[in-house]
Amino acid sequence: MPLDDQSSAPDEALLVLYANGDAVAARVLTARLVPRVLAQAQRLLGNRAEAEDVAQEAMLRLWRIAPEWRQGEAKVTTWLYRVTANLCTDRFRKARGVGLDEAPEPEDERPGPAEGLQERARADALQDALDKLPDRQREAVILRHIEELGNPEIAEIMEISVEAVESLVARGKRALAAELSARRDDLGYTDDG
Amino acid sequence: MMDEPENTDPLTAYFDAGKAARPEPGDALMARIMADADRVQAERAKAPAAVSAPERRGWPVRLAQALGGWPAMAGLAAATVAGLWIGVSAPAGLTGMAQEVIAGSEAAYLIDLDPDATFMLADGGM
Repeated sequence: MPLDDQSSAPDEALLVLYANGDAVAARVLTARLVPRVLAQAQRLLGNRAEAEDVAQEAMLRLWRIAPEWRQGEAKVTTWLYRVTANLCTDRFRKARGVGLDEAPEPEDERPGPAEGLQERARADALQDALDKLPDRQREAVILRHIEELGNPEIAEIMEISVEAVESLVARGKRALAAELSARRDDLGYTDDG
Repeated sequence: MMDEPENTDPLTAYFDAGKAARPEPGDALMARIMADADRVQAERAKAPAAVSAPERRGWPVRLAQALGGWPAMAGLAAATVAGLWIGVSAPAGLTGMAQEVIAGSEAAYLIDLDPDATFMLADGGM
């Protein structure tokens, strides 16, 4: 099937095509899914190199499971978000064994609060604050407010109830707000801009 | 209608900035992932599809498969045991009913019946 025809095909159909030996389906799926997987992993881990390893591993698991994929059971993206989160959790556990002090420091090349660079400073501040949240709160907040998924899908990804998702998001946001308000003066701007 | 307060969540600006700063995968990562996809696909194509080795299983397994697998075999075994039990300890009512049918008012049924069987039924030997 030509690339153009496949670009509008659902993920699940592409995965079946891939399993049946189609050469183009994997390219379409890679282009479509890897940006999401990488973004989720990087926000969860706060580290680019590790996020790339996780993204590659999550996609490898997708390629391997393709022949057993059952249509209609779950969305490919839901499955991938879950696998990615689990791979990140494994890395957290290993990192804790090493000691938090040895975790790589965020690169401190943050621009000053000059006009136009505020967005970048905010994104960095958000990532720093996310890094300080408990794992599950961080995952729920990222999926809800950055990936902009609905609570039912997040519940499916995290294998918890919708109420538990709401609770995790609410607690995560409270902790984020507290952390960011403490930094606000340092960044030299207010929330109205 | 009340006006909705505009953007009261102080975190909204941070989340917007976070969305705008979405990390994009580089070419090297995309190439690695596509190479994985091609390798997994090639390995699968090379592997013999669901190796159907020559049948070296014993005859009970082959028989069970021919009859529809072990669930069907279980049903068959149950029916066999039930038949054997009926044969060994025929309920008294069964003999009485058979006699009634054969020697009673349903004489028409006797037409094709083996005379020996009638004798045995009357004698209670069946």
